[in-house]
Amino acid sequence: MMGLERALIELLLHFVTHDALNAFLRSPQHTASLVGCLIAVCGALLGTFLLLRGMSLTSDAISHTVLLGIVLAFMLMTGAGLEGDTASPWLILGAAAAGVGTVVLTEALHRSGLVRQDAALGLAFPLLFAIAVILVSRFVDDVHLDDDAVLVGEIGLAWANTNSHCFANCESLRITPEHPAAQQTRQCANCRELNISPRDERAEFREVCGNCGVYTPAQAWSAGLLDEVPTLVFFPKSITVMLVLTALTVGFVAVFYKELKLTTFDAALAKSLGFRPAALTYALMILVSLVAVGAFDAVGSILVIAFFIIPPAAAYLLTDRLSGMLLLSPIIGGAGAFFGYDLARGWLFGMLPVAEGIAALNAVFGLQLREVWDSSISASVVLTMFVIFVLVWILSPRYGLVVSAVRRANSRRRFDDQVVLAHIHNHQGTPSHAIELRAATLHQHFRWTPQKMNRVLMRLRALGFVSLEAGSAILTQRGDAHVHAFRKQLLVAHNIPDIDPTQP
Amino acid sequence: MAERRVWPMIVALLALGVLLLPLSQSLFGLRLTYTVRVVALGGSLLGALSGAVGCFAVLRRESLLGDALSHAALPGVAIGFLLAGRQLGALLVGAGIASWLGLRLVAAILRTTRIKQDAALGIVLVSFFAAGIALLTYIQSLPEASQAGLDSFIFGQAAAIIESDIALLGGVGLAVTLVLALLWKEFKLITFDADFASAGGLRGGLIDALLSTLIVVTIVLGLQLAGVILMVGMLIAPAIAARQWTHSLEQMVVLAAALGAFAGGSGAVISALDSDIPTGPMIIVVAFALVALSITLAPGRGVLWRQLRQRENRRNFRSRRLEPGA
Repeated sequence: MMGLERALIELLLHFVTHDALNAFLRSPQHTASLVGCLIAVCGALLGTFLLLRGMSLTSDAISHTVLLGIVLAFMLMTGAGLEGDTASPWLILGAAAAGVGTVVLTEALHRSGLVRQDAALGLAFPLLFAIAVILVSRFVDDVHLDDDAVLVGEIGLAWANTNSHCFANCESLRITPEHPAAQQTRQCANCRELNISPRDERAEFREVCGNCGVYTPAQAWSAGLLDEVPTLVFFPKSITVMLVLTALTVGFVAVFYKELKLTTFDAALAKSLGFRPAALTYALMILVSLVAVGAFDAVGSILVIAFFIIPPAAAYLLTDRLSGMLLLSPIIGGAGAFFGYDLARGWLFGMLPVAEGIAALNAVFGLQLREVWDSSISASVVLTMFVIFVLVWILSPRYGLVVSAVRRANSRRRFDDQVVLAHIHNHQGTPSHAIELRAATLHQHFRWTPQKMNRVLMRLRALGFVSLEAGSAILTQRGDAHVHAFRKQLLVAHNIPDIDPTQP
Repeated sequence: MAERRVWPMIVALLALGVLLLPLSQSLFGLRLTYTVRVVALGGSLLGALSGAVGCFAVLRRESLLGDALSHAALPGVAIGFLLAGRQLGALLVGAGIASWLGLRLVAAILRTTRIKQDAALGIVLVSFFAAGIALLTYIQSLPEASQAGLDSFIFGQAAAIIESDIALLGGVGLAVTLVLALLWKEFKLITFDADFASAGGLRGGLIDALLSTLIVVTIVLGLQLAGVILMVGMLIAPAIAARQWTHSLEQMVVLAAALGAFAGGSGAVISALDSDIPTGPMIIVVAFALVALSITLAPGRGVLWRQLRQRENRRNFRSRRLEPGA
């Protein structure tokens, strides 16, 4: 992990100075946005397949039970005398095992034939989560697994947890008593033994070095022992973790794109072609677990499911192509992560101040709410994603509410037109002509209001399909052609031979 | 056959539940303080209520709806607090309204988009929960706020149950029982064949909304005890366990209520054995143990029975005593 980080930084140092890099990474906003975007990319790519397989809530279950894996690994580690760290391979192993365990338990319950799929999921994860909570409160007395960490994570503090890498002046510094920077002090050597004060004449003194020892370059610089600044880069750990997970996820999707596509849309066909859909499903679940545990530090165990579910759902309303979804959903998730930080600091999409909204609420409802909005970053990221989802839901050019409403209104209008045209066509030139087609009473034949009839007639006259003759509606030549074209189209569509006697 | 065995079982469970308190006193040397008794009673009441209501959620394939609705209640709790301060009534009403809005939003997404139920539930669950968390952090930033205790809605805090909560649970439990009894036929019909119900002239939407409201009410009451994450377990585990023993809805609901009460009461008592065992999670573990037991042992349907039957079939087949048509 460290070597990888170092290689990455070396690459970056070709483009920017280490000071600029440090300044960039030391900003909470930059690091939080970067980590958020990386989680969003992983979540969106995997979530797309979950959504299309109807397994979105499996990510919910896994993100909860990952807690059990973390707790178990944590207990094992503290039992073995190791220090608990969320980047440790043990934790990652535990999390992956818990994720797979959830899926196995759910499948077993489901396969017994006694419990339905959704019920099996709803049984399995509260159980595993409950066990995790019991274990935490019974055996783990560590602040690291407190409520807040589980709920919201600490993405705002991601910048502070770093590995330092040194690139120049990197010799570690050994301060010996002879070193010019050594701080020598005189201490009484036998005062304590003899229980005398240093002023006593029996006191013997010796030289003691106060700051002797070995210093890493970072320690030496912060202790002010170096004249020349070492080239240090402080790299947040969560960025590395998420970069590795992103590479893994992107690689997985790229390599197994064909297989994933096939098993997602037609598992039975995939199986008969010799693929193994179950193996791929488990691989997918392992990746979901890994991302859930990688993101645990940053966004906690509940909010992470937004990264799996909301961006793919929004993308699903925008496109019909799998490749389109895989492209759009990371962008949507990334935008959510990016603007989410602003929302936590009080700006929706960086433009609309939340405080003014609160002020408006206070003014309208006579409340006395504090007009300062400073909120959880991860919750704000999720809320931003939700706002994006709602915008897409309303405005999507393909499946949006607005487009659907317009489309429905259009087809209703077209239907009205066709019905009236057909009515006129049927009665034109028949004995009942005068009764059936009188404009003033036409609405009664459709059981419409006169207003609606008027609207439709106006439209048909404007289109040049219908004209009024002696108070009766009749088809124009154009209207007649339209009716026949429509009729022909219908007959062809339903494969009926044309037996219209009026047609040549 | 299996049907007739259920009633004695229910009676036995209830008797066991009633005996549990004195039994645990003498067997484990547990001192049943007033608090333990109140918490155990609260757990039993909630277990019975959520067991009975949960049957409908499970049978209607809406098991995970409970999960979404319990998470969706959180912003309501926060807004209730902002508007009215720390009054249980305001918090519960807020939770109920938020949860109900979440329900409507799920329905709207399902009606107007091609997104399927699982994703729709997930979207509502996490968005509402995030709104709740954002509001809670906002509340924490208020200088005068005595917000202590709002967190208990997330993880549940059974130890905080007091007598007035019991009265509330009992009252609502009675009301829910009354509604179930009065509209039994309608609920049954809409659960098993919603289309037929509508065709038969039933106001499907209204009954559906009423049934959902019962689920929302149960969830809101359970939040304080079990918390938003575990509430779904409270709701569906007793129902799934009960489902294994019977094919009749009447028996299933009564048995689920009994099993839920048993899980709630005994979970509370077990957690009282050790101060470090939280009550809500313990209740879930007991409830799941009941599910595991039912899935293995239930006569006729359980895994064990099926294996026995298969073995017998195999033996019959081998000795060629296979009857024609069997």
